[in-house]
Amino acid sequence: MKILAKDKVQALLDKIAQQATVYVPMAIEQGSGFYPWNEDNKEKPLLLDALNVYNSPKYVVFPQTERMYDLKQQGQELSIDKTYEDSSERVIFGVRACDARAMRSLDDVFLTRGFEDSFYKARRDNVTVIGNACYNPGVNCFCGAMGVAMTEPETDVIIRDTGNDGYIWEAKTEKGEKLTALVAEFLVDKELKYPEAKSFTTQVDYEGVAEKLKSMFDHPLWQKMAEPCVNCGACTYICPSCHCFDIQVKMWGDSGYRFRCWDSCMYAEYSAEAGGGNPRPTGVERFRQRFLHKLEFFNERYGYSLCTGCGRCTIVCPAGVRITDIINEIKEVDSSVEL
Amino acid sequence: MSNCNCEQPLVPHIVEVIDIVEETPDVKSFYVKSVGGGLPYQVMPGQCSMLSLPVGEGMFSCTWQEGQEYQQYAIKRVGLLTEELHRIEVGQKLGLRGPYGNGFPIETSRGKDMLFIAGGIGLAPLRSFIKHCFKNRSDYGKITIIYGSRSYNDLCFKKELFEEWPSQPDTEVHITIDNPEEIWKGHVGFVPAYVEELAPDPAGKVSVTCGPPIMIKFALQSLQKLGYQDEQIVTTLEMRMKCGIGKCGRCNIGSQYICLDGPVFDLTQLKQLPQEW
Repeated sequence: MKILAKDKVQALLDKIAQQATVYVPMAIEQGSGFYPWNEDNKEKPLLLDALNVYNSPKYVVFPQTERMYDLKQQGQELSIDKTYEDSSERVIFGVRACDARAMRSLDDVFLTRGFEDSFYKARRDNVTVIGNACYNPGVNCFCGAMGVAMTEPETDVIIRDTGNDGYIWEAKTEKGEKLTALVAEFLVDKELKYPEAKSFTTQVDYEGVAEKLKSMFDHPLWQKMAEPCVNCGACTYICPSCHCFDIQVKMWGDSGYRFRCWDSCMYAEYSAEAGGGNPRPTGVERFRQRFLHKLEFFNERYGYSLCTGCGRCTIVCPAGVRITDIINEIKEVDSSVEL
Repeated sequence: MSNCNCEQPLVPHIVEVIDIVEETPDVKSFYVKSVGGGLPYQVMPGQCSMLSLPVGEGMFSCTWQEGQEYQQYAIKRVGLLTEELHRIEVGQKLGLRGPYGNGFPIETSRGKDMLFIAGGIGLAPLRSFIKHCFKNRSDYGKITIIYGSRSYNDLCFKKELFEEWPSQPDTEVHITIDNPEEIWKGHVGFVPAYVEELAPDPAGKVSVTCGPPIMIKFALQSLQKLGYQDEQIVTTLEMRMKCGIGKCGRCNIGSQYICLDGPVFDLTQLKQLPQEW
């Protein structure tokens, strides 16, 4: 097997960075997330031992704000002069299994079911992902309950932390092989034992929940569960798999551009119609939409849950809403009770 | 022929407005063709397009028939984009992308009697199906159209309603307005009640309903009362949309995206979805 010694990581990142923008988990100021490995950031602490950094790498393939095309209007004339599909080479290093699964759900949304989103595709086709297998889940982690294998992130390369001996390096896809060839000089052949996986401390039972939710749209439990929620949308922005977007325009006089940006089902404007109607008029409907999308609707459409068990929404929620409690409550409640 | 912008589905084509017709005080029809002439793309009855000006994009039902070199959009003035659209003049360039959505069941309705129920601007999408039936008259049986608006002035497509359609063979057109008016000698009352009053026999029929959500809700109840089976009840849903291609999230009802899997559903399908429409 191939081994990456820990003291070779920085040199390996430098090497990849000659050909691609490399995103690595880092702590910057109060936050943490995936940041470009460049001269400005190199001195900042690398967080390869952390489980989940605060911000997921979602934005690398699906930026928070993405310029789509330039618009020009003069009198009755209208033109689109330039589109902005970004196909530059990128590598994301150290992605955990939950975030890798989230990226798979973005792939399913943006690249399947009738239309391929050209902006997403341009980025995604040119991203190579190096996963960092988890062996010691954190207090908010529950990916296992959501069908994610923490030791087998769905990525192009998997690294496995064996402690002082370094990382086991395994190429899993063609992209992964290509990257492995590029960094061959930093890998040595040696046999190491796989680390031992510890068990989850957060207990969640999602088994049968998606199916059960099908008959719970009008259940009074939503009213109760939504009560503390202030519809701030923090959970949707921090979520690695939330993919809803708005399309907006920025014009200066005659010219400008159309862009898309993350949007949130927590906001009234999200589903407010020009004619004045809104199918989700209060926080309760919006709360229900979010959790049904995560736990039932996506499952029905794509065959797995849209919640990957990363635990971030639990950490950021100012009102103490915990998706794990929600899953467990749904599991427990009598689904036949109707309003 | 089809110019579906499949490579870059979110980037519009530029089209030109070649004619604008004022249908009612707040509805105008816009006729568009590609810049330099020709049809932007073919559209099945019930499918939609995203029309745009710099201020924004919006999803509108399209009317097009085989052989036509242009598309038509009947648009009611309700919001930011439609206000702007109502201000433009012939020659204006617009952004256009599509076609989106599943369209009406024109194939499976062949050989059936057709019942069209519309309210207000809801006649615009149905009109493309109605026109399709008239163009392929022998493929469909008796055609019954029940249409209503708030007032006489708000009735769309008056020439077709009062002249062209009633003179078609084996066709009935029933029109109602919500409140009495001096100018109006016809039926007064809401569309669902009128449907019940006329009580068109469900045998061998397909009903297709389009209108404001509240009208749809009651019209579907009326049809059920009259004995229509779920699969005979077809309607269209609408939700706010941004992308039109099933990605941006907001137009879902349950696991279905109205822009992609709809906007046309029959009651069998609707009964599988949460009651959020």
